[in-house]
Amino acid sequence: MTVHHLLTKKPGIPDYVSYIRETDMDGIGPDGKPVRGYNAAGAGSPPKITSHDPSKAPHQMRLTKEEQDILDGKQGAVKAKLMKTVVRHGNLFGAEKLVDLGGNPHSSTFLGSPALKPIIDLLTDCADAGLKAYAPYTINPRPFDLYGVQTDREQELMIFESLPLQTELDHVHARLGARGMDIRSCMCYLPEVGNCPEPGTMVAWGESSAINAGNSIFGLRTNRNSMGMELLCALLGKAPYFGLMTDEGRMAKWLIEVKTSGEPDWGVLGGAIGEKCIEDVPYVTGIDKYFDGKITPQNLHKLKAMGSATASSGAVGLYHVENLTPDAVQHGRKLLAEGYQTYVIDDKEIDRVRSNYPNYWPKGQQPTGINIGCPHNTFHELVYWGTRITNELKKRGLKKVALPTQMFQSRVVSDHFMMEHPEMYATLFAAGVRFSNTCTVCFGGFDGYAENHFNVANSNKARKYTTARYLSDDDMIEVLMTGKIPE
Amino acid sequence: MAKKTFQGRPVVPGDLNGKATVSKQPFNTTASYMENVWAGNTKNAPCTDQDNKDLFRKDLEGVILCTSQCIGSSMGGGCFMAVAGLDLAPKAMLFSRHIDSVTASGVLMADIWQDKSIICVDLLGEEFLEAVKNGDAISIKKDGTVEVS
Repeated sequence: MTVHHLLTKKPGIPDYVSYIRETDMDGIGPDGKPVRGYNAAGAGSPPKITSHDPSKAPHQMRLTKEEQDILDGKQGAVKAKLMKTVVRHGNLFGAEKLVDLGGNPHSSTFLGSPALKPIIDLLTDCADAGLKAYAPYTINPRPFDLYGVQTDREQELMIFESLPLQTELDHVHARLGARGMDIRSCMCYLPEVGNCPEPGTMVAWGESSAINAGNSIFGLRTNRNSMGMELLCALLGKAPYFGLMTDEGRMAKWLIEVKTSGEPDWGVLGGAIGEKCIEDVPYVTGIDKYFDGKITPQNLHKLKAMGSATASSGAVGLYHVENLTPDAVQHGRKLLAEGYQTYVIDDKEIDRVRSNYPNYWPKGQQPTGINIGCPHNTFHELVYWGTRITNELKKRGLKKVALPTQMFQSRVVSDHFMMEHPEMYATLFAAGVRFSNTCTVCFGGFDGYAENHFNVANSNKARKYTTARYLSDDDMIEVLMTGKIPE
Repeated sequence: MAKKTFQGRPVVPGDLNGKATVSKQPFNTTASYMENVWAGNTKNAPCTDQDNKDLFRKDLEGVILCTSQCIGSSMGGGCFMAVAGLDLAPKAMLFSRHIDSVTASGVLMADIWQDKSIICVDLLGEEFLEAVKNGDAISIKKDGTVEVS
């Protein structure tokens, strides 16, 4: 029985369903069981199949009566369209059902550029239909900060011309149930920001770095949801159950043996893992010794730097660290899937990966700015950088840093730092360091900005998405003091 | 080259003939569309991923992109909606591996919410990516059959 037939013949289904393009399904065959197709796998694990047989019916998940009613338009056209998108997405990955979501959503839909009008229109349609997220949600940083760091005319013009739809986007977020702007951050799981659900909670987060931190560090269960899809799931309160939400999808296809002579560069390590594993789940050994036995607020940033780079250089949505991350502590090497591959990362490999990072700055170009915090800084990173910068200034008899320096973190995190370390905050501010709640990547992405701004960053993710050069912490300090990258 | 036929899965089905644009390494969507999504370029779609040796600075408007899969940040799906809205999206994307969840979201949202179809076929197999070269003639059928010659 075709779905078109089902849709057009069922009593009580509104007319507009017939012009929702492509069909949907009951998800239940004539025998009352889910219609099964091939066993596609999900993101984060390799597909179970590598070919497609067009003679077989495509996979269709089983829906509850209420879900089917939504799909059939009984709760309105917009919600039907929304359900159709989510179901069709899940079917591609062999999802057998939708699951109810818990905790709070996190959205990576943060940029009000003209190019993203289609996604803003989509959200506006949902808000106009009266839809709201199942729980208040957090959002990535706003893409500019006119009061903190981008205060000159040139940059104001770039912002107003690049992001004319920002207010429209912020408005629709408020209508759909977003939390306030003071907590905007890609690091939604920090205690100051307050979006860190209990381990095991099913969520459908956006933001690649938050996704793999949530899955890996906090034991959440989320797939890698795109900008837009994370909110469609939030508005439904449901997500397709596949991939990294399942036990099977969380098995590691790679054993990563880190054998560096000392603490590795976390960003390059993550970049190496991402390039090698692409979307597969890695099980990382040899690094737990750098964490004093457990993940703490003081060492969380190491995993942030590694994890975010695995997701920007690859598509890693979950990693396990032996003796450290919750799944690995619970299951150990039983998480290694049959036939797993091994990748050894030593000093030589770190050097090889780093040496492949291109530099498109003009020859002899020295930096013009310094960005610290991609993903956003934690409170303890602010203390770390604040201590290093103020000590180094004192040691060298300097009053100011050499170049405009931006620290990026949520407003509530910099407030925390200011409250606990007011003198250090004041010293840094007087030295020219600024604190902003915007985004490093956005900072470097505006039209015209890259032509005459050459920033250095302590983030491999920022390197990936901007023209920033990625430096070690020690080299960052040298640039902070001298304005020049050490030879 | 002699004609080779591959069977994939039609994620967004369609018929199309054209020339191949190949990225042997995975395609980083967010990194590739920075100029369109951030910097306001509405005229063409130069690839801005400096790590992609195959595509960096090549115009991606209307191409038939042949790669293993897409990678990178979760903005990727929004980027496909964005370039679809600007009429700068690839005409088709052909993946040797399983489509990733971020790209799947993007092409489905473009199809369902914008009525813009980016033809998309996945599961074509590693042999597809080994065989296809830049400029090869490509013929895509609705059932997911792809011919390379």
